[in-house]
Amino acid sequence: MRRLLRAAGRTVPLVAALAAVAASPAGARLGGQQADTQVAPTAPRPASAVTTADQQASLRDRIADVRRDPNAVPLPPTNEITVGPRSVPAGTRVAGPIATAKGRLDVYGEVAGDAIAIDGDVVVHPGAVVGGNAFSVGGRVRAEGLVRGEIRTIQGKVGPVPTAPAASAADTGHALKLALGWLAMLIVVGLGVLVAAGEYLDGVVEALEESFSRAFLAGVAGQLAILPVVVLAVVALAITLLGILLIPFAVVAYALAVAGLVMLGFLAAAQVTGRALRPVPKGAIISARGAALRGLVIGITAYLLLWIVAAAFTWQPLAGAILRTIALCVTWVAATAGLGAALLSRAGTRRVGEVTPAALPEPEDLSWMTPTPVTGVVAARRPTPAASVKGPR
Amino acid sequence: MIGYVLAARLAASATAALLLATPLSAQSWRTLDVARQLHDSGTYTVTVQYGAGRLALHATESPLLYDMRLRYDAERTEPVHSFSPGSRTIRLGVRKQHVRLRDDENPAELQVDLADRVPLDLSLELGAVEADLDLSRLRLNDLQVESGASEATLRFDSPNPEQMRSMRLDVGAASLKAVRLANANTRNIQVNAGVGTVDLDLGGDWRQDIALNVEVAVGGVRVHVPSDVGVRVEMRKVLASFEHDGLVKRGGAYFSDNWDSAPYKLSIRTGTTLGKFELDRR
Repeated sequence: MRRLLRAAGRTVPLVAALAAVAASPAGARLGGQQADTQVAPTAPRPASAVTTADQQASLRDRIADVRRDPNAVPLPPTNEITVGPRSVPAGTRVAGPIATAKGRLDVYGEVAGDAIAIDGDVVVHPGAVVGGNAFSVGGRVRAEGLVRGEIRTIQGKVGPVPTAPAASAADTGHALKLALGWLAMLIVVGLGVLVAAGEYLDGVVEALEESFSRAFLAGVAGQLAILPVVVLAVVALAITLLGILLIPFAVVAYALAVAGLVMLGFLAAAQVTGRALRPVPKGAIISARGAALRGLVIGITAYLLLWIVAAAFTWQPLAGAILRTIALCVTWVAATAGLGAALLSRAGTRRVGEVTPAALPEPEDLSWMTPTPVTGVVAARRPTPAASVKGPR
Repeated sequence: MIGYVLAARLAASATAALLLATPLSAQSWRTLDVARQLHDSGTYTVTVQYGAGRLALHATESPLLYDMRLRYDAERTEPVHSFSPGSRTIRLGVRKQHVRLRDDENPAELQVDLADRVPLDLSLELGAVEADLDLSRLRLNDLQVESGASEATLRFDSPNPEQMRSMRLDVGAASLKAVRLANANTRNIQVNAGVGTVDLDLGGDWRQDIALNVEVAVGGVRVHVPSDVGVRVEMRKVLASFEHDGLVKRGGAYFSDNWDSAPYKLSIRTGTTLGKFELDRR
């Protein structure tokens, strides 16, 4: 009897116990042993039983997974983990932690540390004491006795928390491709605008350079007005019955116009930014068009560089999100100011300082310019202030 | 002012949620059950923190101090279950949580059962949570609920055996419904909501007068009060309406006709902007 009681806390070598698991249905024997656990703790299975390497490897992997799970309690060394049912008889005190795999752990006596069952239940019977935690992986913990620590169970996947680096790397690569694609596309579009609509772009650039803050405010106002304007246009068209037919075309045309203005404005902002970042060196011989192209490419690259850096940090959610937010804010400011400049300059058709015909002063008297024959009659004389004051003599 | 603070908090929460939002790629759903037996009868301070998902909180009759059952995505959630016997504090829930934008198929769940045998100072720190907070039978000394964007129901189906010092409910964008609040056994209830609707049922077992302070930045407040309770309402409103259900204005406040004779009195101070305050006396 004394020898049996001493065996209660004895560990079963993993390899030997694996043989027992493979040789016999443990569950069938479990009940009988439980009923008599006070005098007959679970004995190790015969080591001669046949087991496969796969089973050993599987169990070792399982234990390793549990060991790496962040919510598992620390396991004892693998060679101290028994396999199959195990019990601690009443009146005995076992130094913990004790652990068993693929079997139930019945505690009738006292475990000084943790009581652990992997793929099995932990049952702390009335009067029993577990000084540490009662922990089960894939099973349950039934605590009818005293558990001084935590009663913990984990189910489902067990093991270290996956970080999924491959997926993140793929996402990062995709984001980088996207950002680089935008860079290439914007440069191509910028070249096209410079060639085909360079004058308009210059007009927007001038408006932007005249007053950035004014352009920015105009851009904000323009953005706020985008939706109301289209709604008003639709309503106005709807009032006239014939106009209803034009609504789809008007909406599409409006969207294209807005997109064009935004693009023109952003390119202008990029050109201004590029010139500011890398001014043309003094003394350098470069044409106006060349300087515009240089500024445009540098500016677009500068803005897209923010997005490329943000894309490069896609694998890190927090840093990536912060960098994307910064890139978004900077791009929005540039696009807004550019849109405002495009609106103020009427898409570059109105130059800074250009005076409209309506603003010209009324000619006081152009009658002296009336064409008259040179000979035969007296040529008209332009009235002069002096002549007006003196009057006819 | 509080409303603006809450609105700012809401904006910050929304921004944080957006920044932390992650694509629906890999998932690693796990289940963790953690409990601890109850070994004494002293007061414990319990904090439950939960970012997103479903939360159910109840009292338990079993001899457990707490019992937490958590279903979580291990890639985005780190469970927390700490117990400090020295300071008698417990912290349950999740430590960090990346919010999913669409996750209806596999919602995260947290169920917490707390001992009904010991006094508790309970604090709930919630994010975007669908919460069922059944505080019936719990012995609460103090209750604090902070929530970003929740749809929460808070119930006191039975009287709180403890005299609660205060109850404070701070919610950002919320649909908050509190049922039988008189059973909370407290003299002070403070409700701050940024945007949303707040429905407060002050039914239950009245044991003392209650001072209710409700601040809602944008939204509606509905307060249900038993007809035998005297009601006094002080209201600050901007672009808001007030349905006072037969109250009479005296001085700067509205009074119910039984204010002087009622055995118990409810004093409401409320402020709302762009909303509606309704008083329902049954």
